[in-house]
Amino acid sequence: MDAQPTPPITPASGPWDVIVVGSGAAGGMAAFQLAMAGVKVLLLEAGRMLDPQKDYKTMEWPYVDMRRHRLPVGEFALSAAEYRTLDRPYGLTPEMQRYKKVMAYSGNRFTRDWIVDEKENPITGTPYAWVRARVLGGKTNLWGRVSLRFSDLDLKAKTHDGFGEDWPIGYADIAPYYDKVDTLLGISGTKEGIPHLPDGIFQRPLKLNCGEVQLQRAIAKMGRRLIPGRAGVTTDGVLNNKYRQRCMGRGRCGRGCDLNAAFHSPASLIFPARDSGNLTVRADSVVSEVLIDDSTGKATGVRVIDQRTHDTMDFSARLVILAASCLESTRLLLNSRSASRPDGAANSSGVVGRYFCEHVMGPGASGILPSRVNTAATNDDGRPQSTYIVRFRNVTDRHPDFIRGYGFQGASGSAEFPALAPGTPGFGASFKQAVRRSYPATINYTGFGEVLARRENRVFLDPEVRDAWGVPVLKFDYTFSDNERKMAADMADTAEEMLKAAGATDISVRRDVLTEGWSIHEMGTARMGADPKTSVTNTFGQTHDVKNLFVVDGSIFVSASCQNPTWMIMALCWRAMDYVKDEMKRGNL
Amino acid sequence: MSDTSHVEPAGINRRTALKAFGASVGSIALLPLISEEGAMAYEALQRANAAPALKALTKAQYATVDAIAEAIIPTDAHSPGARAARVADYIDLLLSEANPQVRERWVAGVAALDEASVAKFKVPFVKLSATQATALLTEISANEAKPTTPVEQFFRTAKDATVRGYYTSEIGIHKDLQYKGNQFLPEFVGCLTEDGKDCPHCGQKAPVKAAD
Repeated sequence: MDAQPTPPITPASGPWDVIVVGSGAAGGMAAFQLAMAGVKVLLLEAGRMLDPQKDYKTMEWPYVDMRRHRLPVGEFALSAAEYRTLDRPYGLTPEMQRYKKVMAYSGNRFTRDWIVDEKENPITGTPYAWVRARVLGGKTNLWGRVSLRFSDLDLKAKTHDGFGEDWPIGYADIAPYYDKVDTLLGISGTKEGIPHLPDGIFQRPLKLNCGEVQLQRAIAKMGRRLIPGRAGVTTDGVLNNKYRQRCMGRGRCGRGCDLNAAFHSPASLIFPARDSGNLTVRADSVVSEVLIDDSTGKATGVRVIDQRTHDTMDFSARLVILAASCLESTRLLLNSRSASRPDGAANSSGVVGRYFCEHVMGPGASGILPSRVNTAATNDDGRPQSTYIVRFRNVTDRHPDFIRGYGFQGASGSAEFPALAPGTPGFGASFKQAVRRSYPATINYTGFGEVLARRENRVFLDPEVRDAWGVPVLKFDYTFSDNERKMAADMADTAEEMLKAAGATDISVRRDVLTEGWSIHEMGTARMGADPKTSVTNTFGQTHDVKNLFVVDGSIFVSASCQNPTWMIMALCWRAMDYVKDEMKRGNL
Repeated sequence: MSDTSHVEPAGINRRTALKAFGASVGSIALLPLISEEGAMAYEALQRANAAPALKALTKAQYATVDAIAEAIIPTDAHSPGARAARVADYIDLLLSEANPQVRERWVAGVAALDEASVAKFKVPFVKLSATQATALLTEISANEAKPTTPVEQFFRTAKDATVRGYYTSEIGIHKDLQYKGNQFLPEFVGCLTEDGKDCPHCGQKAPVKAAD
């Protein structure tokens, strides 16, 4: 691809009909839908441009040099334990000076350049591992590709168990858009007919290996379902996109897939949209606020601070769409303040920043399957997704300890690095042999559970601390509750129980919950709803207060479900863009 | 340069794959080195194959680290060990980049290992016969799950680094583990029960079709 074209894009380069802030799953989808419909779009990305052929090092072996893919000298990633103990605000205290990145589990030598530096982007308040990617495509360049649909069990969860709020839409409203996303982007999976995990339009599925079949059969006797992973990856290829090729089972998708078989926003959405001639992409554009004309109550554009030069400029458009990621869009709304809007834009309800939810993860179990010990290693980590154990709690019964549910992601078999080796006792030829014998036989599952959307879990602007561009940073007031803790304890128990049922030995159970934020699935801080007093947007992400301001990322979720959010973000966004196009035709926007 | 002999005939190596997919897949120009990236990659290869120039350890410390790494993961009938995989060079590089406390811990650990060796066999660790080294390491690894003394802690540290260095090396990945991934694989082969057959690899039977 290209660097920033010269001359640089300035407000005078316009005009544009629509400004989209953010270029990840939501921003990419919004820009694609509108540009393809002939709308002139300006896409603003805070990070740099990206060239998949140069930036994705999908197949690089660790032994290309002696450093073996370790982070460069002087770069440190916070470990889970360090979040709990180190002073905040991140990056502003002496103890934190040696740390640069909060990367959760996604951080490595390949993704580090895309993830923000904590010194320039501090946060304050309660510990939160907030992983932010500032680069074209955002976190879609390193996402986990788990693409599961929400069902009415999630969308109408309050009806089911009485807690929180139902979504203002049901599965029937969103199903057609899930179908469209499946078809446009490609998704791999199997039709299973599970009501609370609806099927999609799937391409060639990923096969289970021998160990996974063994577990699948063992837990089927408990009435639990293990299914092949549903991956946001095209296994058969997609039509009408010259940038993408089908999956070739190489693995390492989380570094960026240089075939673009895995969904990454740049090649899947942004480049085709740019080819239409209707999309302008401006990188290095840190948006600090939405500009609103208080006399009309309409958004007029956004204020941009150039990431490199720190020049400030105002871009204007008829419509502003925020897709900066859940918390960044929320921060933008909160920072769009004036005398008549002391709490920010679209916040007459006071719920912007509240009902913050995500997924609780970490508990699970690993072990060794005796049937696979001392067999030839198979290619297990070449699949873009492993397997999924479908939610079985609080579906038809009621668990006495907690509401909502969780699913497991995991796999059996070998990966490039033998994770069992450091814990294998002994040394010498017998140690080598023990590692080799168990290498194909490992099995490991990790739970992902729903965090309840509670009013008291919130983010707000820190009154004093600012980032490197002078924008106030977020202060967190967010913790797991009793429900999450009890659910996590049950996750560990059921993981152990299922591995035992499959005949696994050497089972080690993980009971610790990873720190808040580790799931990288932030949701809920600008939730949709019918009532402007208790919600921020309507079902199309249109803010109740400002008719030409839309929010289309994870912040508009009402509850978290235990399924991964990306596919839902894109389905909701597509539905919202259809509405935008209709409203534009009618002259309402 | 990387050895491609490990690529299974069934797979496709990168070069033929590139041909198959056309030049849109990032093609690699090895020479001439015009891009900075290419130059850096070349330099890294050079460095990886160059004779070790020590960065953090003294010659004597390096010899001890090399010896304990080889004792933990030795060359055996199946595959070469830590010495061939140049684990000590990896550890030396790692220490040259580590903070001073980590370096001090290693230096003290090497000294503690020699002390234990002298106490038991009257010679430093590098002078031990294979049998003697095994006897000594058997003692100091007995508590490896919960090491308490400095020498026990050093064994744990050295083992972690050796494991990390060995299993990320070409020898560890390909010759020892015979890892099959990271290649172009047009179709993923799973358990054959997935294709409705009995699986010869694991002995599991084809799924029974539910009666209509």
